[in-house]
Amino acid sequence: MNNKDNFFKGIIKENPLFVSLLGMCPSLAVTTSFENALGMTMGVFFVLVLSNLLISLIMNNKKLAEMVKPVRIPVYIVVIATLVTIVEMVMHAFTPALYFSLGVFIPLIVVNCIILGRAEAFASDNKPVASLIDGAGMALGYGLAIMSISIFREFLGKGTLTIWGDLQLNLNFVFDFLKIEPIAMFVQPVGAFLTFGLILAAITAIANNHKNKLAKEVKNNG
Amino acid sequence: MKNNGLVSGLVLLTIGLVCGILLSVVNYFTAPIIKEVEDAIKYAALEEFYTLANYDISEVSGEGDFGTIFIFKEKGTETINAIVYTVRAQGYSDSTKVEMLIAVNSDLTVEDYKVVSQQETTGFGADIVDNDFNVSVIDDLSGFDSVSGVTKTSNAIKTCFTLVGERIASDLGGGLNE
Repeated sequence: MNNKDNFFKGIIKENPLFVSLLGMCPSLAVTTSFENALGMTMGVFFVLVLSNLLISLIMNNKKLAEMVKPVRIPVYIVVIATLVTIVEMVMHAFTPALYFSLGVFIPLIVVNCIILGRAEAFASDNKPVASLIDGAGMALGYGLAIMSISIFREFLGKGTLTIWGDLQLNLNFVFDFLKIEPIAMFVQPVGAFLTFGLILAAITAIANNHKNKLAKEVKNNG
Repeated sequence: MKNNGLVSGLVLLTIGLVCGILLSVVNYFTAPIIKEVEDAIKYAALEEFYTLANYDISEVSGEGDFGTIFIFKEKGTETINAIVYTVRAQGYSDSTKVEMLIAVNSDLTVEDYKVVSQQETTGFGADIVDNDFNVSVIDDLSGFDSVSGVTKTSNAIKTCFTLVGERIASDLGGGLNE
């Protein structure tokens, strides 16, 4: 697999959230606003890219890999937990509002299945550069997925779109035009499942349609 | 090389040590900024009660349900003008207590109060944040106004006032070990 395919597979074909259904718990919890989703994406991007790179560097050293193999999962956890703690400290210092908003879901990145999954399934068996690209693609795929959920949830639930801090788009004119109020349910847990389910259904429908078209073409061409 | 548990354990220990060193370096740079941020949040709340520039403010760590206690003395004097208590009590949420700042003047009048942390039921408990509980003197809660439908949370707020009322006289008389 070339670097381009390696990068883009995480965004579409093997999207961790919409295709593999990994890391759903924090994703649904932090998507109440676009800003939260963006902050989470940055945190996961930093952790996933660097953990993939470091774990690949460790496992590509033959001598070191042999010693690490029996304790590889604790090693992965130590590396990931260190990176997550760095994210937590930096976020607390420089973006305190986001830090308090994301709350417990920042330290929970340590046990996010996507990160440990990529470490074991990809980084441990591949070269450092390929692992770094895989991490970047997966993190971006995850980020795009939670950001798309958050756009729907924040718009439908509050009528706004919080980009960052005070930078907020007020889209309430849509609701004013329709003479209805924003639907608060969408920023509550039930709204998270509903939005996720609807987006997943749409993606599955598009994918199935595409598959059927391909199958038809193959059949027609003999 | 024949691997045994000891070698693997030592490698894990070494990696752990390297990570520990890395974290202490990051902590060295971020800890002062985090302290500044936390102080700013705390003092922004206090600024709503008093003009901070007029006072010398000292802090004492509270015990039990009390967090930091802020002692306000008029600049250049040793007389306590007011005390702001950080106090917690159990509300509706099992996991997180309701936390308040209660500012009491030396004549026992309540200057102001603010709920600074709570995880009560959204849409109900959250009503308490800006509610006026009708408490003007700390040792007289006879006129306390509960929020209807939010009994447990209202009781937690009342408990906070009661806890402060029980110790304020002693604290103003020099009971606080600064």
